[in-house]
Amino acid sequence: MREEKKISSKRIGRAGALLGVAALAWAVPLLGQAPKPATSPAAPSTANTPSGFPQASSIDLSITGSSSARRPLAIPMTVAPLLTDLQTKAVDPFYTTLSDDLAGSGVFVVADPALYPKGMRPPQNREEGDAWKATSAQFLLDTRLSQDGGNVSVEALLWDLGTLRFILSKKYTGESRAARRIAHTLASDLVRQFTGKPGPFLTKIAFSSDRDEPRVKEVYTMDFDGENQRRITSSRTLSLAPDWSPDGSKIVYQSYEKDTPGLWLIGKDGTDKRQIPVPTQLNASPSFSPDGKTIAFCGSVRGNTEIFTVQTDGSGLKRLTENAAIDSTPRWSPNGRELAFTSNRQGTPQIFMMDLEGANVRRVTLAGNWNDEAAFSPDGGRLAFACRNEGDFQICVMDLSSGRTVQISNGPGAHEAPTWSPDGSKIAWDVQRGSSTQIAVGNADGSGTARIVTSSGNNYSPSWVKTLE
Amino acid sequence: MKQSLKAGSIALAAVAFVVACSSKPPATPPPAPTPAPVSTPTVVTVEPVATPTPRPTPKIDSESIAGRSISELSGMLKPAFFDYDKADVRGDARDVLAANATWLKKYTSVQFTIEGHTDERGTAQYNLALGDRRANAAKDYLVSLGVDASRVKTVSYGKERPFATGHDEDSWQKNRRANFVVTGK
Repeated sequence: MREEKKISSKRIGRAGALLGVAALAWAVPLLGQAPKPATSPAAPSTANTPSGFPQASSIDLSITGSSSARRPLAIPMTVAPLLTDLQTKAVDPFYTTLSDDLAGSGVFVVADPALYPKGMRPPQNREEGDAWKATSAQFLLDTRLSQDGGNVSVEALLWDLGTLRFILSKKYTGESRAARRIAHTLASDLVRQFTGKPGPFLTKIAFSSDRDEPRVKEVYTMDFDGENQRRITSSRTLSLAPDWSPDGSKIVYQSYEKDTPGLWLIGKDGTDKRQIPVPTQLNASPSFSPDGKTIAFCGSVRGNTEIFTVQTDGSGLKRLTENAAIDSTPRWSPNGRELAFTSNRQGTPQIFMMDLEGANVRRVTLAGNWNDEAAFSPDGGRLAFACRNEGDFQICVMDLSSGRTVQISNGPGAHEAPTWSPDGSKIAWDVQRGSSTQIAVGNADGSGTARIVTSSGNNYSPSWVKTLE
Repeated sequence: MKQSLKAGSIALAAVAFVVACSSKPPATPPPAPTPAPVSTPTVVTVEPVATPTPRPTPKIDSESIAGRSISELSGMLKPAFFDYDKADVRGDARDVLAANATWLKKYTSVQFTIEGHTDERGTAQYNLALGDRRANAAKDYLVSLGVDASRVKTVSYGKERPFATGHDEDSWQKNRRANFVVTGK
């Protein structure tokens, strides 16, 4: 039952850590509403839905196929030796990260810490157990952090407050600066305990940012919660629309490095950059095939944009569409047999699908006057996209078998460019409010409050890595 | 001021027209827009339309290009403006492009790039495609007027490099353009 894990520290740059703190502080005013207490489910919004699609609520879980209710969980503050240095370096980041991960997991509802009884850890008898259950919790996550030189150890016990027995016991050790990573690992293990698959807490998001210089955008990566932001391109020009390779080792993106925009590949650490030679112009919206061998993209020939596929070495160029309208933004289905794309061939931009020969074209989105930037869920059953009827773009999710569509974002601003977490539980997108564009991460079923995870410059076009680490 | 007011009201009329169109999609799919330079503009042009950023008309007959910098020469070529989500060359843009063509045919050594730009509405990726269409529509129109196609390159910046950073129709109209950059003389 008891497992031990050693967590290797990944270097956490000082700038990255500071950015993360700023992002957290910024999230609340930007979202325009305080996070709701985890114990009370968010009321279904009756506010206007600019997309024209029904608004998702936390009660509406049918779209995910999730049948089980969220488990009410108490997470009392981590017990640790009272050392100031340890507190700031390890305990606080550990506890905050753990709480944020689990509250946003879609698997747990975190009971309000203000209601927690003092002490009683672990609950020794029925009365103490009932005191914890009075907070609405059914489970209690007890964590203890200890220091051993430069390393920290975390012991975690998950208690079932009904039986007063622990159902999970874990121990992790790592350098003190890896405390956040330990928290992500524990959160991921807890989600696995209940769902059979790990949570997305150790995964990364690539995106494009203008923070370095005017008129320049570079490709960055970060942890899914906005920590550890790192620039991986040095193009000094526009580098846009990154998309991860299926194995997470490299990223394809569009860059204007040779004046005319082209398709480029780069390793996730910024090494091995090379251009994919193609004779087309524009060369926007590259998308990796699920086998990692082929790139779909939007290329232009004599002023008409079409969908093409090409091997990563530039061979085997193939045109899939042949239409005088705009065809753009291809995205591969997870089974590798279809592409979703945007076209205004029937009037306004809408999402279509076709096979890899460009045949069997069918329109997918039927409502709204602009639907764009399709993204398949990892299991292929759902499609997220930027949807608009009147007003601004929002993020919609369509169940592909039923066509049922819900809007998962809300609030002012243009919400665009959705991307799925590899477990299908979350979606990231970019949202422009006024002159600021930042990356938001929310639950794929629309529950809870989306969180803004970037703050430096403007940040665009998130691409979530496709494998769970 | 008077000019820009007029331009603004016409631009508003254009938006109203586009919105009215898009909110009532026709029962049958409309023909796909083509970049054909001779298609009818979607806006009823009342007057010779002022561009939002008026510049003095280039004195094309008296200029010599030898002593002028590349950026000065770029200023001789005026931008062509477009309607929302459209790449058709509208009436005022034809006049601008005709003047550009006249100048370009006089100075045949000039090489240039046409940049296609869009306003901030619409998704980034779609706007790259739209900007590509605008740049090529402007190029096609110049070529139809006798400008050698080998002198011109096109590039789309979509909504990536706006000229005006406001979030209103005035800024949006300024950003929906085919912009000319001289690259050699």
